[in-house]
Amino acid sequence: MGSTYMEATNNPDREWKKGGAELLILSLLEQQARHGYDLCKLIEARSAGALRFHVTTLYPLLYRLEERKLVQGRWVEKTNQRRRRYYSLTAEGRKVLARQRHNWQGFVEAMSRVMGVEHA
Amino acid sequence: MSWGWNMLDWKQEIRSRIADRRIDPAREGSMIEELSQHLEDRYRELLSAGDSEPDARERVLGELEGSESFAAALPAGKSRSNRNAMPPATSASGNLFSDLRRDLRFGLRGMIHAPAFSIFAVLTLALGIGASTTVFTVVNTLLLHPLPAHDPSGLVCVYTTDVKNGKQSDNLLPTSYPNLQDLQSRSNVFAGFAGFSPPMVMTMTDATGSERLFGELVSQGYFEALGLAPAKGRFFRPAEIAVAGSAPVAVLSYSAWKTRFNSDPDIVGRTLEINGTPFTVIGVAPQGFLGVSAVFGPDVWLPATMAPQVMSAAMQDLLHERGKPFFQTVARLKPGVSRSQAEASLQTLAAALEREYPDVNNGHTVSVQPVTTALYSGMGGERGMTFASVVLLVIVGLVLLIACSNVANLLLTRSLSRRQEIAVRLAIGASRGRLLRQLLTESLLLGLFGGAVGLGVGYEGCRFLWSFRPPEVARNLADPKLDSTVFLFAFFLSLATGFIFGVLPSLRASKTSLVDSLKEESRIAGMGTRGARSQKVLLVAQMAISLVSLIAASLFLRAIERAYDIDPGFDQKHLAVFLMNPEQTGYDAVRLKAFHLDVRDHVSSLPGVEAVSWASNMPFWSSPSHGVLIEGQRQARKSESLSTVTNTVDVDYFKTMGIPLLQGRAFANSDQEGSLPVAIVNGDLARRYWPDGNALGKNFRLVGDTVARQIVGVVKTSDYTTLGEATQPCIYLPLRQNLGGNFNLYVRTAGDPSHVLEAVQREIKTIAPNVEVSDVRTGTTLINQVLWGARMVLGMLGVFGLLALALASIGLYGILAYSVSGRQHEIGVRMALGASRAAVLRLVVREGMMLVGIGVGIGLAISLLIGRVFSRMLFGLSPADPLSLAGASAVLILVSMLACYLPAMAASRMDPMKALREG
Repeated sequence: MGSTYMEATNNPDREWKKGGAELLILSLLEQQARHGYDLCKLIEARSAGALRFHVTTLYPLLYRLEERKLVQGRWVEKTNQRRRRYYSLTAEGRKVLARQRHNWQGFVEAMSRVMGVEHA
Repeated sequence: MSWGWNMLDWKQEIRSRIADRRIDPAREGSMIEELSQHLEDRYRELLSAGDSEPDARERVLGELEGSESFAAALPAGKSRSNRNAMPPATSASGNLFSDLRRDLRFGLRGMIHAPAFSIFAVLTLALGIGASTTVFTVVNTLLLHPLPAHDPSGLVCVYTTDVKNGKQSDNLLPTSYPNLQDLQSRSNVFAGFAGFSPPMVMTMTDATGSERLFGELVSQGYFEALGLAPAKGRFFRPAEIAVAGSAPVAVLSYSAWKTRFNSDPDIVGRTLEINGTPFTVIGVAPQGFLGVSAVFGPDVWLPATMAPQVMSAAMQDLLHERGKPFFQTVARLKPGVSRSQAEASLQTLAAALEREYPDVNNGHTVSVQPVTTALYSGMGGERGMTFASVVLLVIVGLVLLIACSNVANLLLTRSLSRRQEIAVRLAIGASRGRLLRQLLTESLLLGLFGGAVGLGVGYEGCRFLWSFRPPEVARNLADPKLDSTVFLFAFFLSLATGFIFGVLPSLRASKTSLVDSLKEESRIAGMGTRGARSQKVLLVAQMAISLVSLIAASLFLRAIERAYDIDPGFDQKHLAVFLMNPEQTGYDAVRLKAFHLDVRDHVSSLPGVEAVSWASNMPFWSSPSHGVLIEGQRQARKSESLSTVTNTVDVDYFKTMGIPLLQGRAFANSDQEGSLPVAIVNGDLARRYWPDGNALGKNFRLVGDTVARQIVGVVKTSDYTTLGEATQPCIYLPLRQNLGGNFNLYVRTAGDPSHVLEAVQREIKTIAPNVEVSDVRTGTTLINQVLWGARMVLGMLGVFGLLALALASIGLYGILAYSVSGRQHEIGVRMALGASRAAVLRLVVREGMMLVGIGVGIGLAISLLIGRVFSRMLFGLSPADPLSLAGASAVLILVSMLACYLPAMAASRMDPMKALREG
């Protein structure tokens, strides 16, 4: 059990790839549409380099979200720029985001409480 | 903007990693583009962070590691059903049918997603296929299935011929009833052999009044020889056609039963009064059966033995008189007997008849002809019909070719916007053949849709065409047969069409260069030079074909106009003809004579009437019927006893008809029974026998006639059988020396004849309340009727020509507009370098018009070459008629100018900067 825990903490990437990656992407798209590279850079910057997405992790996830109709990808051409595929949140995506955010906060709180009690 | 080293490298890396996921190509293309952009961004980020190019590349590729799981994580299966996506087409599945199904499904999706293109293509094709189907339906009805008889190939017709009278083809005569009966009973080469009269006007009287109908007399075994089964009831029994006047029974035609009797289910057993004799209906002939004719059929068939009851006094002896040839024949060859064997056998019998009855059968033998000779008699024969059909089919074929060329151009243009899709599919391993098959399937699908709509267009076209039938005989004319042959024709035509317009664009598209298309820079290159050349060749061909159709159309339209200017030899303006049949309502010779006189006196005193006369013939309904023997020339010229039109006419006939008297005198009241038998001949007959112009006072005898008649006048030759015919000899006999039979009243008016029609009918009613005027025709309707067939054919050609012009103009506009839009960049450069708007306009128009010019040149050359073939349908108009050639070329050039000018205007108005940027 201990080793698993260590692994998880040593490699937070994989950890929230399982649960939180979806939530992370949905929340980043909540305010505005973004393209894949933008998402990677944002995640890396906001986690101060602790969380890092690559092509191989981000896009399968995006495509799955798209298939579930939580996000929608669209090719957009802007002046003097290459066309890029921008993802935005669908109405369904917003509902799922709200639910997951709620669950996640509950989960984190529960974890903290448990861990806090143990350490106290 | 440069993207470091080639984007293509990233794309290939991605592609190699996801290839076996079998994602459908469009989705896959989109993924590849997105992912490789991501790698490119990452690579540039690393470069700007200070990595060397090889290091940066190494790291980016390193981040792609574990791509097997990456590929596995990509959504695959479901994304295939993306509706915008293309079929996998990586390779053939090996199963032709599942491939076909997939291609069809994909083609359908493609059509749904480009609705404007699909609708335009389908409608264009539908017009072309519809026009062809219309013409083919006519051909199918008249030429391929003219006789709904059992095994028509075994049927022949036996004609009497005058061996001493030169060419056999002009000399196919009917046979007299006694001769027919002898041939019938003595011949042993036929499984069935019967005679039939031409359709004759008869009067049917019932509670609601009297009506005109067409009846045919038939001899024993007529329906049996043809192998027909009645639609209702039965046909004649042998006993019913054995003894003269014994069985007043009748068989109705299907369309008479349907239209005149409202498909009365109890029609069998009903009694009809025909020419004053009650007949019992015993059956209804099968649908579509018009007798032995492809075009015109009777309403009713009566036993030949009822002739004395229904025929005029002059024809009472029809059943006994060997000198009255009246019956056509139809016979079915016994199995194994050829037509020439039958002819040889019958000629032996004819020789025997000649020996037995030398006075009437002298010099006569028989000729056995294929049944088609009778089917198309009076219609230019089978060859004439075939010729007209071929001309029509060629013209609609041209229209269809133009339609194909339009759609091919659209496809060529469309294939450019599909280059990327096609390139992606080639990139992921689709073979060129597989791709070609897919593209062709799409074309065939378009063709089939076009064909389905075209069948509807064709059906409507037929209905439209048939609506031009003269209403008074509409029931007696052939109905268009939209049968399985027409369906098969439309189906194969659609497939062929789909192939023709699809093959060039498909070949072109499947030649798409992989590298060029995937390089973004190349996307703007637009049409390659090869594509442009194909389109130009298509355009020139289209112009040439359009011009040929347009010239044909204008020639034919001018020919119709010209046909109305043809002098029929009489003055058809201000003329009216009244058809009636007093004899059929029981008038004998004495009462008839009084009736004729009374009507003439009363009608001629009506205001607005200038002249009145009676005549036995209807204009354009006469044909040579009597042989002539000239006194004094008889020995020398026996071999030339030519056949002549005869017309029995009252005094004032030539004045009423407006036929000029060339020599001698017209008939007078003194030419009557007991006075010297006289006749008037036409110029043609006079010239043939008396080239020196001294016909007056000469005597002649009609074959089978005992009286010699003296020629007292020569009148101008007019048209007797059809308008613009080759001159025929004609003999006019005075009414009072030749009473009996049916006469029509001719009235010449001072003004529009329609004003006096009613007054004349009222007068006749007052004189003889029970005589029904069955039909009234003005001179104009006479001409319209004689021209209806030609008008129909020529009108069709005219419509097809205009259709060709419309389609070609649309195609031309499309090609030019597209080529201008592809040249925006070039035009931008020219204008940026100082070219004026006018110069750009000139440039674009000049280039378009050069192609048009080449097309017009080729079209003119072809028209002049094939024009000669048309010439005999043109009523004497030269196929090189300058007005038609110049007019058609001018119209085409004008329309093309417009089609060039509009895109050119658009090009010249372009903002050079915008053009450069977008181009």
